[in-house]
Amino acid sequence: MMFAVLALIAGVVLGVVFEPSVPLALQPYLPIAVVAALDAVFGGIRARLDGIFDDKQFVISFVSNVLVAALIVYLGDQLGVGSQLSTGVVVVLGVRIFGNVAAIRRRLFRA
Amino acid sequence: MTGNVGGGTTGGGSPERPRRVYAPDFVTELFRNPLDPGYAEAAARRKARGGESAATRAGGFSARTIVLVAAGFLLAIAYHQTVAAHPQAVQTRNNLVNDVKARQAETDELQKQADDLRDRVSRLRETALAGTDLADLRAQEARVGVARVRGNAAVIRLTDAPTQVDPVTGQASTNLGKVQDRDLQAVCNQLWHDGAEAIAINGQRLTSTSTIRTAGETILVDFRPILSPYEVDAIGPGDLDKRFSGSATGQLFRELVTDYHMQLSVSHRNNVTLPAAADPQLHYATAVSSPSPSRPPSSPASPVPSSSKGR
Repeated sequence: MMFAVLALIAGVVLGVVFEPSVPLALQPYLPIAVVAALDAVFGGIRARLDGIFDDKQFVISFVSNVLVAALIVYLGDQLGVGSQLSTGVVVVLGVRIFGNVAAIRRRLFRA
Repeated sequence: MTGNVGGGTTGGGSPERPRRVYAPDFVTELFRNPLDPGYAEAAARRKARGGESAATRAGGFSARTIVLVAAGFLLAIAYHQTVAAHPQAVQTRNNLVNDVKARQAETDELQKQADDLRDRVSRLRETALAGTDLADLRAQEARVGVARVRGNAAVIRLTDAPTQVDPVTGQASTNLGKVQDRDLQAVCNQLWHDGAEAIAINGQRLTSTSTIRTAGETILVDFRPILSPYEVDAIGPGDLDKRFSGSATGQLFRELVTDYHMQLSVSHRNNVTLPAAADPQLHYATAVSSPSPSRPPSSPASPVPSSSKGR
């Protein structure tokens, strides 16, 4: 757990140090990708607290979450409903994040 | 592993119920069990297989680390992107605001310079010209509006009606009581008609070539924007304010006040100084150097013609 937090922090530090500029074409996908990544991370934390964490499951859920979210936004853009689909993705992932955080909270604080 | 999690409000009665055929409610399912069932399945598989080899564990560990680093990286980029994009817009706006302010200061400076130079010119003229010529020139200047004048004035003050907001929709209705350029034109024309000799609107002196126009929502006097409340100062006969109030235009504005809530006040003020207008630049017209001026200089009470009031 400690090491995971350290890895996350290392990623943040890398991002801050290198300050990569995102290509214009990828910019619409960034917010959705972040929400998808957060969903995978919170899912992993909860699984860890439940004692059923699995590396493969975590990696695959992270990658597929980000890719599927980007794909949905891309499809939406092509169909002309990009913002609506983005909203849909954010709502679904947001609900999942809330549910996972609620479970984490219950496990940690018994409340 | 599925029954003990979720939003809490959906109730825990479902596990006891016999399985129905109809499709599960997607949203309820989402709230009740946000975790991928994959984790539980993987745990069950692992339990069945009984432990993992050290190599698998090491591979999983490094993959997990890479993904976490990537997640942190993504967060940092997204934060950077949002924060970096924000100041750009603000910066552009600030630059524009600074530009406008700098230009305003520049025009103010130039205006001051012009005023100073005009003062100098008139002082030099005073020293160069003899007594009667000078008085003549002063009178002429005052009449056309390029010299400051003083006198008792009628002050007509027009203010936009307050914007009416629809209590239901909260939207502003079109304000019919807003002062328009033609209102100011009507006031000025009426004042000229009633014997005004010098008029200034919000400190902008009118000359024979002055214009009163609208650009967008703003009224321009000689291409300078002026804002409500509009104050028209007119030097003229002592009863100019009463003449204005009694005129057809005064009547029209009283109707605008009662019907559309425009605000109007007509008053008299003693000893008002009206500023000089900028020298009208003549580009096409040249003065005819005839020996006799078209108007005898000994008629200071005659009103200044109001032919071109910017219609």
